[in-house]
Amino acid sequence: MSVELILWLFSFASVMVLVGLTAYQLICLSDLEFDYINPYDSSSRINAVVIIEYALQAVLCAAFLLTLNWFPFLVMAPVTYYHVKLYMNRKHLVDVTEIFRQLHGEKKYRMIKLAFYFGLFIITIYRLVMTAVLLFIDEDANLVETRTI
Amino acid sequence: MHPPTGNERLPGRPVSGFVPGSAAAAGPPPFAAGAPLMRPGAAAPFAPPTQQPGVPPPLAGASPAAPFGAAPPAAMGGYRGPPPPQGPFGTGPPPQGPFATASPPQGPFATASPPQGPFAKAPPPQGPFAAAPPSQGPFAAGPPSQGPFAAGPPSQGPFATAPPPFRHPPSLGQPQSPTGSGMPAPTYVRPPPVQSQPPPVQGYYPGVPSSNPQFPMSRPAYQPPMQTMPPPPMGPPSSYSNQPAYPTSGPPMGTLQSLVEDFQSLSVSSAPGSLDPGVDVKGLPRPLDGDEEPAKVFEAYPLNCHPRYFRLTTHTIPASQSLVSRWHLPLGAVVHPLAESPDGEEVPVVNFGSAGVIRCRRCRTYINPYATFADAGRKWRCNLCTLLNDVPGEYFCALDASGRRYDTDQRPELSKGTVEFVAPTEYMVRPPMPPSYFFLIDVSVSAVRSGLLEVVAKTIKSCLDDLLGFPRTQIGFLTFDSTLHFHNFKSSLSQPQMMVVADLDDVFLPLPDDLLVNLVDSRHVVESFLDSLPNMFHDNVNVESALGPALKAAFMVMGQIGGKLLVFQSTLPSLGIGRLRLRGDDVRAYGTDKEHILRVPEDPFYKQMAAEFTKNQIAVDIFSFSDKYCDIASLGSLAKYTGGQVYHYPSFQATTHGEKLKHELSRDLTRETAWESVMRIRCGKGVRFTTYHGHFMLRSTDLLALPAVDSDKAFAMQLSLEETLMTTQAVYFQVALLYTSSSGERRIRVHTAAAPVVTDLSEMYRQADTGAIVSLLARIAVENSLSDKLDSVRQQLQLKLVRSLKEYRNLYVVQHRIGGRLIYPESLRYLPLYILAICKSLALRGGYADVSLDERCAAGFSMMILPARRLLNFIYPSLYRLDEVLTMEPGRIDGSLKRLPLTLQCLDTAGLYLLDDGFTFLVWLGRMLPPELVNDILGVSLANFPDLSKIQLRECNNYHSRNFMTVLRTLREKDFSCYQLPRVVRQGEQPREGFLLLSNLVEDQMAGTSSYMDWILQIHRQTQSS
Repeated sequence: MSVELILWLFSFASVMVLVGLTAYQLICLSDLEFDYINPYDSSSRINAVVIIEYALQAVLCAAFLLTLNWFPFLVMAPVTYYHVKLYMNRKHLVDVTEIFRQLHGEKKYRMIKLAFYFGLFIITIYRLVMTAVLLFIDEDANLVETRTI
Repeated sequence: MHPPTGNERLPGRPVSGFVPGSAAAAGPPPFAAGAPLMRPGAAAPFAPPTQQPGVPPPLAGASPAAPFGAAPPAAMGGYRGPPPPQGPFGTGPPPQGPFATASPPQGPFATASPPQGPFAKAPPPQGPFAAAPPSQGPFAAGPPSQGPFAAGPPSQGPFATAPPPFRHPPSLGQPQSPTGSGMPAPTYVRPPPVQSQPPPVQGYYPGVPSSNPQFPMSRPAYQPPMQTMPPPPMGPPSSYSNQPAYPTSGPPMGTLQSLVEDFQSLSVSSAPGSLDPGVDVKGLPRPLDGDEEPAKVFEAYPLNCHPRYFRLTTHTIPASQSLVSRWHLPLGAVVHPLAESPDGEEVPVVNFGSAGVIRCRRCRTYINPYATFADAGRKWRCNLCTLLNDVPGEYFCALDASGRRYDTDQRPELSKGTVEFVAPTEYMVRPPMPPSYFFLIDVSVSAVRSGLLEVVAKTIKSCLDDLLGFPRTQIGFLTFDSTLHFHNFKSSLSQPQMMVVADLDDVFLPLPDDLLVNLVDSRHVVESFLDSLPNMFHDNVNVESALGPALKAAFMVMGQIGGKLLVFQSTLPSLGIGRLRLRGDDVRAYGTDKEHILRVPEDPFYKQMAAEFTKNQIAVDIFSFSDKYCDIASLGSLAKYTGGQVYHYPSFQATTHGEKLKHELSRDLTRETAWESVMRIRCGKGVRFTTYHGHFMLRSTDLLALPAVDSDKAFAMQLSLEETLMTTQAVYFQVALLYTSSSGERRIRVHTAAAPVVTDLSEMYRQADTGAIVSLLARIAVENSLSDKLDSVRQQLQLKLVRSLKEYRNLYVVQHRIGGRLIYPESLRYLPLYILAICKSLALRGGYADVSLDERCAAGFSMMILPARRLLNFIYPSLYRLDEVLTMEPGRIDGSLKRLPLTLQCLDTAGLYLLDDGFTFLVWLGRMLPPELVNDILGVSLANFPDLSKIQLRECNNYHSRNFMTVLRTLREKDFSCYQLPRVVRQGEQPREGFLLLSNLVEDQMAGTSSYMDWILQIHRQTQSS
């Protein structure tokens, strides 16, 4: 098992989690829109996962940087910056008093984020398969070499 | 009209037992006992119209009338379906209400013409009712009257149909002509929009064929006034050259008439090169009569709730999206659910008993006057979603010929737009809460020094008897500085016990209960506490204020019950959670993108706390007294999301402001309040309320949570169209407020209103309601100022005005060459001035130096809850000249107060003026005013009293002073919700004159703002440029 494969396996798992968390937030918002839950529950559920999402995203971004995977890092860096900015301005949490006014904006924001994570997901899958296949081919090649010799 | 209506009620009750099958047997006795004339109408539902001639023997004398007598009820039956298309104003479904109510009384007219005498005398107030007789009266008079009948129904509008009966009955022709001519010519000639007649009606009139030949003969009766109509005041007469064509074709007349009625114009052209701008400053429209409630709407739609409860920005609903996009002003409504009704118009209370509250199964609309009944009264059709619902057995009542229930007049929910239902237990999540008051009083050094504690304690003590919900009222107090002081009011104690909690990080309650106690049980303890409160802290030198922890503690005490939390804050919160920084003194922030941050809460703690409060049914009222910055923006958000109110007394001193605080605090404590309430507005298919503005918290997309709401709070909301094309004729709105009254009863207050759907932009302009538009625009502007620069907020307002006037101009400018004129609809003639006034209002005017941040925010919070009338007076205050009034007899004073335009030119140096904006009185003393008069009023010699800011006006023993106080009292009595504090300023006394008076003269040019005349010129230029 190479470091590369572990990295991509980790990134595969965490992108799955990110997609899940964003989808969960979206579901909370649309439940609120259709009056299935009240704003207090909705905002506390969303706010409970926001920090987890940010942290995971930041860790993933850092992992790409440390393993010198420039392309995925550059894709993720602006989002990380945006998250940090929101966090510094204390705007990362949903405001329960204004949630209905912001509902459409918040939904759109999370839709875009969901699309972004999906894109990341595709990249991850591709790179994961690539890495795995290359690894096996390498091993196969080694095998072949040892046999022929 | 009234006696016959009374007769009609008599048969109403017995009829409720009617079974269709036994109608013939059961029918006669009650009617014989009542008015025999009722019979044709009453019997109609049970017998086909063709049998009518044989049924009523009492009418045999008027045999030609018999078939006609039966016809109109049958025609009414036609109204059961969807309402017929409408003419511009009076023809929608609502007039059919009066139609229906008026039809039985027409019996007398059918047999005898004399009853028309009083009728002829009273037409103007009876506007809508006058519409009914034409269909009946003429028939009685015999064949000649069929002419107007044939012509009548097609020409709808109540006023339009009214004249014919006055003209035609031969016996009455002469005496009635004055009445006829008294009617305004333009309305008299309203064109007959042919389509407005419901098709089925035709078939029911047996007399139609014979009346046809008379049709052309009856037309000329209409035409003379048409042709003598005065040409519109402006525009070349040649544009009406096709006028003769109008009498033959209906609809175009509407355009002609609308031109006559609507548009007004101002000449703003100036001769090139001249300095004179060409505007007659005196001729500019000014709202010197205050708010104009759209009373016309209420007359045309008598089944609607009164406009004081519900006002649409334009009493029409545009039929298409494209029409909405051309209406650049906000489309929405201002709702004042608990507006105080004048004596004699109390809201009727309805208890459905075992039937339960009658509501639509699908859309949950409450039963209302616009609901129609079908299937002999066993079903009712919801007017919002058109679903057919079952009528509960207990609520069943038979229908008369017109499809109207016999008991309509006895049931307020079927005859009045505003009713209150007693809600059964399904409407409670817990037993109705007792009214409870919790006082959170800052006792730090500034509160002690200003004398605040004494005023507050005395006022609360004097209000103890009047607190709402007498035997169940709960009361509690918590005082705080750098520590929290809890007070134990256990009824067995003789003196209250004080417990101090110094741990601000982890607040806990020292006692499980007895902090919020029943007032009756612990009255003596509470009284002794209030007596000792000022002394208890009178040598307190603590400067800190731990508001955040105190709020948490109050939440723990009140959380179980809910109620009202009154916060008396006199410094910036400085300790514990929720402490605030000094901000707002940063000049550089103004004009940048960061400017608005000063106006939003700094610490999310306050918003979160507000959300928790609302959840637990606690409303917060903020009384703030600081002489320095105390961040009203943050504190106010507590009130904003809990349905509360912000009172701001900058630099409070008990001697000067004490009276104001006393009045407003006692008003707050004793006004009728609705507790733990929620409000929802339903509206018919195709439209939807999107945004809400006011003090509340949204609990779902359209449910406003209001822990406490009272008669001083109004709400505004904006509408949007969901469908691209509206197919209905009218849209109905229903405001429902579910609340617990102070007496512990769960009630639902329901206001219902209808508005016609129109396809014509000019009709929307005609029905526009300036008060509601300004109210909504002001709230939107204040809300925008929380996320935008003041400058751009003002620009947005101006842009809206310009766009709407440009659109209006485009409607007319092509036909009429009105180049150098600003044209505007009559209904919006004050709009430019009011928008200028909003831009110059305390909340939005100028920049950093013009208004202190706290005052700006406090004014913003006030503007968000003010009802339309008070808002208009706030932004365009009333100015009166008093020096002449003061020498009059006291009895004549009220009538002789005349409002003046708000401009410096109105101020005479030898005059004494009073400016009333609903919150303060400003007394302006002219320089040349006789010193005796000044001394009389002030009670001191002006020369010896240089600092007018400290002066207090009280009644002195002389004629002028007594009169002066009478004036102030008269003005205060117009509105009890606020106590205007008098402030005196002398002419030329800078800088006080500047920021007290001159900044309120909204028609004048101030630093960086335009005068009224410049404003009009500016608007005109912008409407012309494409």
